[in-house]
Parts: sequence; C-alpha cells; structure tokens
Amino acid sequence: MSNFFNKLSNFFGIKKKSVKVIMIGLNNSGKSTIVSLLKNDSEKSPEIIPTIGLNVEHFKYQNVFFTAFDMSGQGRYRYLWERYYRNCDGIIFVVDSSDRLRLAVAKEELYLLLQHPDVAGRKLPILFLANKMDVREALSSVKIATAFGLDRIKDKPWHIFSTNALTGEGLQEGVEWLTEQLCQTVA
Amino acid sequence: MAIKRDKKEEEDGGNPFQSLDKTSVLQDARTFNETPVEPRKCTPILTKILYLLNQGEQLGPAEATETFFAVTKLFQSNNTLLRRMVYLGIKELSLIAQDVIIVTSSLTKDMTGKEDLYRAAAIRALCSITDATMLQTIERYMKQAIVDRNPAVASAALVSSLHMSRIASDVVKRWVNEAQEAVNSDSIMVQYHALGLLFHIRKNDRLAVTKLVAKLTRMSLKSPFAVCMLIRIACKLLEEESSGEYADSPLFDFIEACLRHKSETVVYEAAAALVNLRHTTTRQITPAVSVLQLFCSSPKPALRFAAVRTLNKVAMTHPTAVTSCNIDLENLITDSNRSIATLAITTLLKTGAESAVDRLMKQIASFVSEISDEFKIVVVQAIRALCLKFPRKHGTLMTFLSAMLRDEGGLEYKASIADTLISLIEGNPEAKESGLAHLCEFIEDCEHTSLAVRILHLLGKEGPKTKQPSRYIRFIYNRVILENAVVRAAAVSALSQFGAQCPDLLENILVLLARCQMDTDDEVRDRATYYFSILQNQDRHLINNYIVEPPQVCVSSLEKALMLHLMETPEEVFDLSSVPLAPPPLSDEVQAAPTVVQEPLAALGRPAVSKEESASDRLRAIPELSWIQGPLFKSSDPISLTESETEYQVRVTKHVFKNHIVLQFDCTNTMSDQLLEKVRVQLEVSEGYQIVAEVPCQRLACSETSPTYIALQFPDAPNLTVTNFAATLRFVVKDCDPMTGIPNSDDGYEEDYMLEDVEVMLADQMQRLTKSNFGAAWEEGESYSELEDTYNLSGINSLEEAVRSVVSFMGMQPADRSDRVQPDKSSHTVYLGGMFRGGVEVLARAKLAMGNSPGVAMQLTVRSPNPDICELIISVVG
Repeated sequence: MSNFFNKLSNFFGIKKKSVKVIMIGLNNSGKSTIVSLLKNDSEKSPEIIPTIGLNVEHFKYQNVFFTAFDMSGQGRYRYLWERYYRNCDGIIFVVDSSDRLRLAVAKEELYLLLQHPDVAGRKLPILFLANKMDVREALSSVKIATAFGLDRIKDKPWHIFSTNALTGEGLQEGVEWLTEQLCQTVA
Repeated sequence: MAIKRDKKEEEDGGNPFQSLDKTSVLQDARTFNETPVEPRKCTPILTKILYLLNQGEQLGPAEATETFFAVTKLFQSNNTLLRRMVYLGIKELSLIAQDVIIVTSSLTKDMTGKEDLYRAAAIRALCSITDATMLQTIERYMKQAIVDRNPAVASAALVSSLHMSRIASDVVKRWVNEAQEAVNSDSIMVQYHALGLLFHIRKNDRLAVTKLVAKLTRMSLKSPFAVCMLIRIACKLLEEESSGEYADSPLFDFIEACLRHKSETVVYEAAAALVNLRHTTTRQITPAVSVLQLFCSSPKPALRFAAVRTLNKVAMTHPTAVTSCNIDLENLITDSNRSIATLAITTLLKTGAESAVDRLMKQIASFVSEISDEFKIVVVQAIRALCLKFPRKHGTLMTFLSAMLRDEGGLEYKASIADTLISLIEGNPEAKESGLAHLCEFIEDCEHTSLAVRILHLLGKEGPKTKQPSRYIRFIYNRVILENAVVRAAAVSALSQFGAQCPDLLENILVLLARCQMDTDDEVRDRATYYFSILQNQDRHLINNYIVEPPQVCVSSLEKALMLHLMETPEEVFDLSSVPLAPPPLSDEVQAAPTVVQEPLAALGRPAVSKEESASDRLRAIPELSWIQGPLFKSSDPISLTESETEYQVRVTKHVFKNHIVLQFDCTNTMSDQLLEKVRVQLEVSEGYQIVAEVPCQRLACSETSPTYIALQFPDAPNLTVTNFAATLRFVVKDCDPMTGIPNSDDGYEEDYMLEDVEVMLADQMQRLTKSNFGAAWEEGESYSELEDTYNLSGINSLEEAVRSVVSFMGMQPADRSDRVQPDKSSHTVYLGGMFRGGVEVLARAKLAMGNSPGVAMQLTVRSPNPDICELIISVVG
C-alpha cells in the first residue's frame, strides 16, 4: 500500500526524495567542476582546486534532492573510495575523454569498483560522463564505452553521455537519466 | 515528562553518561551511515563518543578509523549543532584513526565558507588532521584566515598555527607578515594571540625579538593580555641580556610604565614582573610593592590573593620592602578567604619580629584545620624559615608542628612537616630531644610507610647520642610488632644502631633482634640475622664498618659491577672498593629550605643514575678508551678553557679512573664560514704523566659541539698527580660557505688556538664519603699513618669562608655537620671524610682559628692507610 502511495506521489512529483550518489573518476577528470555546475548559482565555489579526501555537496534536480560525495581522484587517495560505496544509491563515474593515455587506468578502477562486495550484487545505476568533449582529440562516448567494455555490465543499469563541464553541455541529459533510474530503484 | 526524566537522572547520580559502554556506543555510531542523516539521533551519539574519549577510554586504530569514517558521512547534514560536534569528533579521533586527511577538502570548504559558525571550528579541526607535508596545501587558506575580519576565525587560525609550528615550524615561519598584521587587529583576543605566534616564530632570534618588543612598546597595544605577554617577553630579554643593571634599559622603563596602565591585569603583571626580576634593587621595586599594597585592600578577592601571594614570595628576597605593607597584611589575617589569610600570615612570619611570632601562630592555629593541604604546606615552609631565623622560638613552633602532624593530611603535607622537624633537630641541638619525642609519637600512628621509614632512620642515627637512648627503644620496637614489613625492616636497622653505639643497651638489643629473626618477612629476618651476628661478635672494627658506617656504594653501579664480575671473572673475589661511592646529598639544601621542601620526595621518584654512570657508559662506547680498567671513579663538572664568546669554545670534563684520567674536551665551533677537521687538543704533560690514548674529533661544522678525548696514566707517586698542563687546540680549517656549510675547496690549513691550562686537582681524585660517626672512624684511623701541618689562609676573612674553601678544595665530605660554623666564635673544627681513587680511605681534621693577624690559621691533620696520600694532601694544601 505504502509502496503504491510512494509510486503515486513520485509520479505526480509531490514528495521530495533524497538520494546519495558518489562521484568518482581519475584526478583532473572534472568531478568537482561538474558538481559545482549542478549546484545553485548562489552556492557556487569561486574556484575549483584539486580535492583532498572528499567534499560533500548538495544539489536538487526536479524534485529529487541529491547528496553527492565528491571523492578525490588522486592516485594516493583512490583506496578511500570504497569506504563510501555502502549506502550509496548511485554512482557517477567521470572520464576525461581526452586523456587516452590513462584510459586503461580508468578502466582498471572501474573494474575494481564493479568487483567490490558493496557494489557487486546491487542494482546500482551507474552514470558515465565522458567529459571534456570540447577538446579536439577527445574520444566519442561510443568509443569509450567500447574501450571500457561497458556492454559486459549486465546487472546494473548504465548510460554514457558526452559532456562539457565548462559549458554544462550534456549534463542535464545525464542527470535526468540518473534521476529516472533512481526513482525506479530507490522508491 | 521533562521533570520526571530529571528525577530519574538524579536518582542515577545525575550523570546520564555514567554507565556508557564502549562497544555499544560504537555500535550506535553505525547510525551515521544511514540516509537520511538524523541530527537528533546522531548528535547525542557523538556526544557519547566524545565523553568516552575524554574519560580516557582507549580506541584501537581499527575502531577509531571505522568510527571516523562514519563521522565523515555526517557532513551530509547541514544541521549546525551536529556539524560543530563533527568538528570536535574529528579533532579527538584524528590522533588515533588512519586516513584522516579524507576530510581536508570538506574542512577547507567550511573554513572558507559563508557560515561563520563553522569557520573557526573547521580551522581547528583542519589543523588537527594536517601533518607537515599536507600543511603546504592549506597554507594559503591559513594565511587568509589569520587576517580574517572575524575575530573568532583569526584567533582560531593564530592559535592553530602555534600548534602547527611544533611539527612544521619552517612553514609557519612564512606566515609572519600575516601575524604582524593581526597584531594591529582591533580585537583584544586576536591581538594577544597574534603576539603569541609572532614571538614564538621569532623566539630563537634574539635580535628580532628585541626589535619586536621595541616596536610594540612604542605603540600602545589595545589588548591587556597582549601587554601582559609583552611584559613577560621584556622580562625574559632583561634577564638574558644584562648582568644586573636595569637602570638605563628602555625595557625596564616600559615595565615600570605599565604600573600605571588602566587595566588591573597589566598593573599586576608589571608589578609581579618587577619583583621577580633577579637583579632589581629594593629601591627599584618600591613602586611595584606599593601597587601590590594597594591591591591588598581591593574589594576583589582575586586581586587580594594575587597581591599577597606575590608579596609572600618577595618577602624572601626583599624583606625590607615588604615590611611597609605589614599593616595591610595584618588586616588580611582575618580575611574571609582562607587562602588569602594564610598567605598574609606566612608573609608576616617571614618579615615579622621575634616578638610577633607567638601571636601569629595563635592566629594560624585558629583556622589551620579549614585550609587545604597545599596552603598548609605554605604554612609549614614559613615555620621552617622561622625556625632557622629564630632558633630560640623552637619550643612554640615545635609544639605547633606536632599538633599539625596529628591532624588529617596527605603524604606531601606530612612529609613537609617531618622534613621541617628533621631539619630543626639537625640544625638546633637544643631542639633535638623534644623533636625526637614528637616524631616518636608521630610514628605511633603514621599511615605513610615512607615517612615512618625516614623517621626510624633518623631515630637510629640521632637516638644513640642522646642522654637517655633507652626511651626510644620502646617506640622503635613497637614498630616491629605493629607495622608492615618495610617499616619493620627499618625498625630493625634502627635498633641495631642503638646496639652498636650504646654498650649498656647491647644485651637488650640482642634479645630484641633475636626475636626479630622469627619474623615472617625475608628482608626483616635477613637484617635481624645480619645485625645480630655482627653485634654478638662485639668486634668494634666490624661494628664500626658495617653498622655505624655501612659502605656507601652507589646501588646501581654496584649492580652493574656485579653483573660485569659474574660475566668476566666469577672465580675471583669481588672487590667492593672498586665500586664508585654514592654521592652524599648536598648539604646546602637546608639553606634553600623553603623552596625545596618537595625535593626529597621528587628525589625518591628519580631513577638513580649518577653523573658518573652516564659518563661511564659513554666512555665505554668509545673503542679507543674501552680498555681502561676499573669503573669510573669520579667525573668533574665541565670547566671552560676559553672565554665565553670566542671563536672556538672548549670545555673540559675530567673522568678519573683508578690509574688513569680521561680528559674530555667538548669543542664548539662558532665560525659559520669555517669547517674544522681533525680537531685535537695538544697537552704538555708534566712529569710522571703519560699519554696513553687520544681520540680526535674528525669533523666539526659550525655551531656543532663534539668531544675529543685524551687518556693519561697517573704517575705512580701521588704527589706528582696534582699539576697543570698547558693546552693548545689544533685543527685543520677549511673555509666554507656560511649558508650551506660546504667547504669551498678540499685544501685546508693548520691552525692553533691557545687554551687555558688544564688543572688536575686534589678534589678530582677524591670522592666525598659521609662519616656519620666521625669520632669512631677517627679513632679507628689511629693505626693509619698521620701527618699534620699548620697553614695561614691569607685572603680569607671569615670562618665560614674558610670552611667552604677547604671543603671544596679537598673534595671531601664534612662529617657530623661540622661545616656549620656557630656564629660569634673565633675557632672551629671541620671533620672531613673522603675516598682517594683506588678506594683508599682518607680522614682529615682541620682546626681553624681567627687570630689577630689577617687571614685564618689552620691546623690540618690527615690520616690515611697510604702515607703517600697523606703527604700529597699536606703538600698540596700549602
């Protein structure tokens, strides 16, 4: 009964929902920049600097209230990601699509993530953002999906979007997809 | 509902956190991981964690890390109360948990954010998780925060910087400009903290501190706390720089001007500073004292207390200056605040006349039971000083002390009373009998083992010499029946002293000791058997050497020597004389009595490592010197062979062994543009001495101190041993860059540097040996060879001075308190005991007399088993 009610209210967008997502990806892929774009203009931080550890940010999309754990992507802090896998409702994986060299590193991190016990069995939606599409030598989202072997992910809903975090291009679509997914799974 | 809960809490003892369990609280902490975060639930759990940590509960690294990461998830919530608890949690857990840098960005965000409530606390938490390597990444934010307009933020940043400078002083040093700016802040708190940081950054640079103080004293600081701080810094500078002349110093003028400051805090600080400066004259402190006098009649108890406490201290150094406050102090005797009254009375006792003593004592007695132990000790100290000042008043004072002894009180308090009584007994022969009687009564009902043992020892030492020794035996034997093992053992030792020194009591003592042999405790039985067999024997020599004058070896050295003996030559007989002697306690302790009452207690806790022992370990570690036979006999204090501000500084320490002397030269290079190599000291040794080993110092960079050693063999004839060696420092100089210390070229040139002569003195070869019964030992020494001579000590004008110089020259220990000269006498005899290197006993008697001619006449008699040593001493004294 209550389940039905929830679905109903979601459908009408009456009830506010809050979800917790975790932002990961290699350093310098644009995670903090993306988060700051998603926030209200009034709360925007004036400058983006390399994150040490993590930042907790809030933003709202439609009627869903997002809490984003913006993790540091630097090599020496990546082992700290896993502490936040549990209890998260979704994952945003940011890739620097112009950084061909480290594509393999990103892939490695992705597979570590997928194998982690706190992630493996769950139907967590994963949003891939192929960032920096404005850079000339950037790979297309399709190419990145192939390179990562994303089609092998069967147990989780996923989608990949090309984005430009400087202008915000592609972000709306990505977040919209994630919101949709979250509304279905979290309900 | 709320009232009900309150009631329940009261029934439980009022503390809702009383029965917290670590495991269940940590279990609760998992709630932090849930979404959404519920501040109402999480805040109390965090409080519980903090409570546990502050109660001393230990978390393991894994537990702490787990909890810490759970806490980081609370950053999701924007509840201000919860967030502030999170900061506290981070600070506490950061010490134990791992990977705490994870919150760096989150805290940086809060510290620079708009929410002022967060900013200061975030800075403090951030600094607690940051280490030296990470500090650079937040440096920019710290600099901004220091000059922030919000005083709470600026203060938090300044104080945190002060903490950080412990781990990364070079980074914090770069923030000096910001700190400088913060000193100009309008907030009194920020100004104070900024000055604190500024001083801390510069404190190693005298010139910079002087400049800082000069600048700040000219501009008037707004914050009274900052001014207080400035006064303290100024005092420190004054103490360091001048050798007693404050008159023209601008710093001194500044402090004096602060006496007229509008803030009472500053006025008090300045007054206290002035009276505490080491070299102020009575005239210079008069204004300060009159300020304190004014405070004495202030309606604020804190001010009265501060003033009277300071006056109490000054009373020791400048009694005359304090006398002018006597009327005000008299008024404070009846102050409703007992602490103030106590201090007032003790101050009056210090400055007052003999006639006032009785009245004041009566006044104290009326409320002594109402004050805390700490202040009772102050009273006892004042009485002690009084006893030394007015020996005739000992009756009144002693009765008072024994009444205090009977009251309830802690160990420290009781110990200070016992100390006072003991020093009274030792210092004033008239007070001896009654003092011992008081102490006897005290140990009848004394719950402190350590005190009982001390008193029993004293009874054993002093009791046999009284008119009626038998009266003490009952008290002592009562201990054997009633007390714990430690006290029983001490009582047995005390009994044996009576047996050894009072022949008519021997019979009875033997009976008592025989009974003690049936004791249940090993130590007590052992002691009883030991003393019983020696006393039964009735051999005077044995009794003298093993009961009256037990061997005074240094216990830790004895242990070491025995271990060495067992490892190396267990088949040979152990030679006790090779063990260094325990240094006797310094007798000038009594002169400084009021300040060092706690010292005997502190000494008990200190591990017994003597100067010799640490030096011995160091010397053994040097391969070239490790072959030297026998344990280290004595190490001298370091003596400077250069002026204090020369290019190269050398200090010599003489380590004396049985047949060798090792000279340790600690060389310091103060030339920043020179690197010294192959540093050694060249000695012109006198006849009979032989250099057997030399250890040069290979490399000596600027501001380094490093030792070089020379080992010499003593001449066979003792009378050649006291001599001088001319010494020269030889080394190779390489010029180098003052900044990096790297030499400009590989070539150096040789250089000499003249040093003062190295003296080998009699005192270096002599250990102090305490003879508690010199008369017996002297008689014992009749079989030794004896030499006698008469001297005229010119240039010495008083008996005290003569005694001091003889004692220090001979390096021997005065026995039977013969180093104390009775005033108004024209002659005095000093008895000295010592041990020459190699374990040869030396006894000396010096009769001193003031004649009509200038100087002091001395007749010196020396007894020792080795005639050469007698000869040496007689010849050297001349």
